Amino acid sequence: MSAFPIFRLPEVLNPVITTHQRHGFNRPKFPVSRCCMRNPAETRRNGGNYYELLGVSVDSNFKEIKESYRKLQKKYHPDIAGQEGHEHTLLLNEAYNVLMKDDLRKDYDASIGHVRVGFVGDSLDMGYSSWNGPFRPQALFVDEKACIGCRECVHNAHNTFIMDEIIGCARVNVQFGDDDTSIEVAVDSCPMNCIHWVEREELAILEYFNIPRPKQGHGVFGQGWERPQNVFMAAKTFQKQQQSQSQQKNVRCDVEQETEAQAQARESASLKLEMEKFSGLWEWVKKISAF
Amino acid sequence: MSQEQVYTVASDSDTTGDERSSAPFPEIAIGIDIGTSQCSLAVWNGSQVELIRNTRNQKLMKSYVTFRDESPVGGVSDQLSHEYEMLSGSSVFNMKRLIGRIDTDPIVSQASKTLPFLIQTLGIGVKPFIAALVNNMWRSTTPEEVLAIYLVELKALAEVGVKRPVRNVVLTVPAAFSRFQLTRISRACAMAGLHVVRLMPEPAAVALLYAQQQQLSVHDSGSEKVALIFNMGAGYSDVAIIVTAGGVSQMKGLAGSTVGGEDLLQNTMHYLLPNMENLFPNKIKSMGVLRVAAQDAIHKLSSQSKVQIDIDLGNGIKICKIIDLEEFEEANKEVFEKCASLVTRCLQDSKVNVEHIDDVILVGGCTNIPKVKNMVMGICKKNKIYPGINPLEAAVRGAALEGALAAGVNDPLGSLDLLTIQVNAHSIGIRANRDSFVPIIARNTTMPARREVVFTTAHDHQTEALIVVYEGDEEVVEKNYLLGYFKVVGIPLAPRGKPEINVCMDIDASNLLRVMVGVLMPGEQNPVVPPLEVRMPTADDGNGLTADVLNRSFGSTLDLVTLHNKMSR
Repeated sequence: MSAFPIFRLPEVLNPVITTHQRHGFNRPKFPVSRCCMRNPAETRRNGGNYYELLGVSVDSNFKEIKESYRKLQKKYHPDIAGQEGHEHTLLLNEAYNVLMKDDLRKDYDASIGHVRVGFVGDSLDMGYSSWNGPFRPQALFVDEKACIGCRECVHNAHNTFIMDEIIGCARVNVQFGDDDTSIEVAVDSCPMNCIHWVEREELAILEYFNIPRPKQGHGVFGQGWERPQNVFMAAKTFQKQQQSQSQQKNVRCDVEQETEAQAQARESASLKLEMEKFSGLWEWVKKISAF
Repeated sequence: MSQEQVYTVASDSDTTGDERSSAPFPEIAIGIDIGTSQCSLAVWNGSQVELIRNTRNQKLMKSYVTFRDESPVGGVSDQLSHEYEMLSGSSVFNMKRLIGRIDTDPIVSQASKTLPFLIQTLGIGVKPFIAALVNNMWRSTTPEEVLAIYLVELKALAEVGVKRPVRNVVLTVPAAFSRFQLTRISRACAMAGLHVVRLMPEPAAVALLYAQQQQLSVHDSGSEKVALIFNMGAGYSDVAIIVTAGGVSQMKGLAGSTVGGEDLLQNTMHYLLPNMENLFPNKIKSMGVLRVAAQDAIHKLSSQSKVQIDIDLGNGIKICKIIDLEEFEEANKEVFEKCASLVTRCLQDSKVNVEHIDDVILVGGCTNIPKVKNMVMGICKKNKIYPGINPLEAAVRGAALEGALAAGVNDPLGSLDLLTIQVNAHSIGIRANRDSFVPIIARNTTMPARREVVFTTAHDHQTEALIVVYEGDEEVVEKNYLLGYFKVVGIPLAPRGKPEINVCMDIDASNLLRVMVGVLMPGEQNPVVPPLEVRMPTADDGNGLTADVLNRSFGSTLDLVTLHNKMSR
């Protein structure tokens, strides 16, 4: 993205286009691109969200985006809708191009996350951080149970941390959204020392346990929101459970005296199963957080 | 923003722009495939695509025009007594290879040595002199004129076929065509009284046909299929990679090159008679004989391993040779390598893994050659060609489908619920950083597209900048096609590198190119000069001298350099 987009993409969100309009030789005058300098975030807010444009949810997968894109193209493509479809199709192509590429989509997610800070309540489903740039071995994690909501970290590295105004604590919105020094300052500035460097692999589990979940109540009693007392312990226990389960399976396998190849096949199969289980969990987690 | 004025500059050489509107037409357009060697016509008859046959019951008609005393006759209705008559000097053919080319083009100079009519090249970047022999006098002509004469006959044939006047047509064109070549095709149609509704790249037409077949056979609209289309005709080769689901085919990559059966033919002629250029006193007749023999040999080598050639070229020159498959493949090694690199480049560009390709579709006459077939199948690691498509009729059938689609025809069975989302085959950009070509809309960008790149001045206190727009994929700017140029004035006095010159390009679905330029000073909110919007010319002035003259007159004084060396999204 260039720093100063003069010619913005047109702001056509839902143009009323009747298909198969016949306008013969009278080509409509081109909408002239206006020249103005707005910051990209503002442009996006006015130009509409790419997800809304394509009619997909924020966590939709490539397949859903593709299907939706094709459906919309059938309606708005200039080959079908005539010249009026031009501007809208430009937007669709742009949105598709961004959302179908992992790196571009992450950048875009980060940039709309930025816009979302203003909307109180919206941030509730933002429990998971996105990445700015390539993955690194370590990631930032805020233990929200310990956070007192002092805003120090948000002040020092506002592209990385955001404030959840409802819960009243900070959290990581974009991993490495700022340069390394301001992140370091932000980490050091925390009076509760609740900003942790964690392994990237652990991040997802930690963030999952970090989000308050509705508690099953009995009648009118005991309902509410809860999260583990110690999120690190909870994550560790979860991992241990996973490991012991797979070990148990292995033990059972050993009893049956198999060839090496068989053992290997079993091993990989059980590993795969475990992975599927895990990814299944993630699908579920995502669904929950999408509400 | 109301105080800003916006100047829109429309090109005066743009004669076809308004007519090329992509509006749907009530009249069903006829699909025409103009091949370098053969042409065909097809139309949507209400339930399916039907090919129109000529009076001799042919679906494929030879593309040539014979000039005679009275009036020229094209290959649609003409009855040739013998193939040699076509090669007597009075017939002009290979129009598609020659159209819109200047005489410094290697294709033209090669053609001048091997075609049995007059092509003279001066090598100075002007139109070549093309003429046919009529009663021992050379009658000069142009590829457009020849094409128009031929199209008039096709039009008459179509009118007989559909029993109504025909005006609207959809034409297939090679992906390698430049914008100006496309305009020349449109003009040839206009000369013949035809209105071009769409010019679609040949693989796009095939993609449409494939999407229709997939939609009718696969009922689950969610499943998508990846196909590689390789088209090699007499004049051009194209490759496209498409992803199809639910009647929509999305192009992932498109590449084209001027390499085709004509090259094979020329190489084979050379192989048979290495010093043929300076051998003949009565050039044309011998060349005709040699051409027929070589063509015949190539055809036979598709099915047998060796072929006997026994011809008398007159003047005491006789060729008596046996040419086998190996020799033929060795003589044309370069051609096959070019085809292979075209396919690999397209695969790389589209970032599609060979393993994900479901179908390989081969179209065009040259895909009958075993070497070509094996090459494409080898690269794609497939051993079965997609069977549902006739290689010689696919393009014209696709064009006829598009003709029905553009007219807004609805088919109750849903077999016209189709769309091809195309990409552009060539990058479009401007000259900057001295002599390099900086693409603004890169090739294989989904159309319609709009992109921008920020440039800056190359010199201190530079107040003007020349925007020279090129089309092509070469890094050195001269190797690309010059599309046009204009000047940006009123850049404030500033050290070099300060002003930001924002160049934005926009291509719409009817392939019209607009360039918009705005000048900004850092820190200021509004552009210093009103943004300039230019609709680029669609036709050239017929010579290739412009770039040289621009260079001589201005040197680097009006140059630009890239500021953000990054494409904007």
